Amino acid sequence: MRGLLYKNFRINLSSFRLNIIVTLICCGIAVICCALNGKDLISEENGGTLMLLLLYYFAFMMPSLTSNLLFEADENKTASAFAMSLPQGGKGHIESKYWYILIQFLIVLFISFLTDTVIYGILGGAFSATALLAMIFSWRLLLSAIEIPFVIRFGSQKGIAIKGLVIAFIAMILLIYLMFGNISWLINSDDPLKALMNWLNCGKVLFPISLFPFISCGAYRLSCKISVKVFREGAENYEQ
Amino acid sequence: MSSKKKLTVKRLVIFLVISFLPLSMLIPILWAVYGEPLYSGKNEQLAVISYLTGVFGMMVPAVAHLITRLVTKEGFDNTYLGVHFKGKEGYWFAAMAVKLIEGWAGLFLLWAVFMKGTAFNEAYPNINMQNMGAYLLQLAASIIIFFPAFGEEWGWRGYMMPKLLELMPKPAAVIVGGIIWGLWHAPLTIAGHNFGTDYPGYPFTGILMMCLFCVLMNCFLTLVTEKTRSIYPASFIHMINNSLGAAILLTVFGSETAIKKVQELNSIELFFAMTCFTAMTAVISFVLFIKKDKSKIESI
Repeated sequence: MRGLLYKNFRINLSSFRLNIIVTLICCGIAVICCALNGKDLISEENGGTLMLLLLYYFAFMMPSLTSNLLFEADENKTASAFAMSLPQGGKGHIESKYWYILIQFLIVLFISFLTDTVIYGILGGAFSATALLAMIFSWRLLLSAIEIPFVIRFGSQKGIAIKGLVIAFIAMILLIYLMFGNISWLINSDDPLKALMNWLNCGKVLFPISLFPFISCGAYRLSCKISVKVFREGAENYEQ
Repeated sequence: MSSKKKLTVKRLVIFLVISFLPLSMLIPILWAVYGEPLYSGKNEQLAVISYLTGVFGMMVPAVAHLITRLVTKEGFDNTYLGVHFKGKEGYWFAAMAVKLIEGWAGLFLLWAVFMKGTAFNEAYPNINMQNMGAYLLQLAASIIIFFPAFGEEWGWRGYMMPKLLELMPKPAAVIVGGIIWGLWHAPLTIAGHNFGTDYPGYPFTGILMMCLFCVLMNCFLTLVTEKTRSIYPASFIHMINNSLGAAILLTVFGSETAIKKVQELNSIELFFAMTCFTAMTAVISFVLFIKKDKSKIESI
């Protein structure tokens, strides 16, 4: 597994570097903004909290965006045959890719955690995004879990399209809720973000939301198993 | 002493010096600057600084591990950074479950020992779906605490313990390792971390208690690390221990009266109540850890 991981890092070194650089830039911007504006940044008028969260979210988006390159390199008959001939087989080949993506997310999580700690210090303990970072991490993990089996089955281009469809479907459900659901908690509030946080903290949704990170981890594991199966079937078809 | 052992001792000493120095220097400086202990001062800024010291301080052993390997040209074999699941699932599961169970058992023990005359649901009226959600969310958010926990574990269990195990028998290594780990916490303990500053025999009792606690924890952590040959399960244990201990569960689920009753206790009394289950886990882990040695002796 170590060798396969090394291969993944070696082949995707440029995208790996890009991920790290983007994460560092996003976190750097967050720290500079906090250092320049102090506690004013996160006041209700300035909406800096939203900006910080978007910066963190963007940092987490990069490993997902570049993960397709990881699969693109292997989208040919020779690569599949090579993967199947490895001592670890197709299973090790696919698992190494899942580990690679997870490691990338963990690196981003680590950098954002350090940034959050520094920001916590700069703002005198007024802002900490630890729980939200865990949620963003889980969300990105879940999206990757959905995306990867499709990428393996249909190729990276179609895989991206299917992921887009899934996101569009979730957005549509959200839109339907916003149009027809009870959103008095949002309408009657001056600060939508604060209202959203209050809604999330209320008893009704806190429990299902708290299960989300565990579901994402389970989904990622399940996705890995499905991908192995799909890859094996695909590789056998190549042979025919 | 063979040259190999001498080299191990040299590496261990370098590692310990690098690990101990930062906190031993920083804590007295902060105390002198702010005029009060870091963890029991009333200054608001101190609360933030103590958090930062805690987070970055926990990463010092990992940095020491890295520097020692580079300085002594040891290389990067046996770093315990690999993940080995096959045949070790039980230890991985124990890493996740044991500390969570300990937390709940500790909460029950607090009620049984210190809240006589109060019904369980009166002491903990907040055990409901909403707070269970908050608890699970805290567990999920613990992934963030995983990094500092990993920082400590990669130093202590990933470097110090294998070196000690090379130098002495297993039982002695576990005890010595625990004491060293406890002493590393001494600057924090003196500054009021864990026990505050208002207890009989301050600060020596606190340091002693911390050493005892670290020896107990070290049994379980070393067992899991050595059996899985991986540092991550121990990091999970450390993470859960720091973020979901009985004291934290009390603040989430306990009534105001229950919290008040516990706050009235002497921190040393509270410590013994909280460490009961850690001690039980430690004894079982210790037996499991040295068991292999006994079977080897019998076969000889």
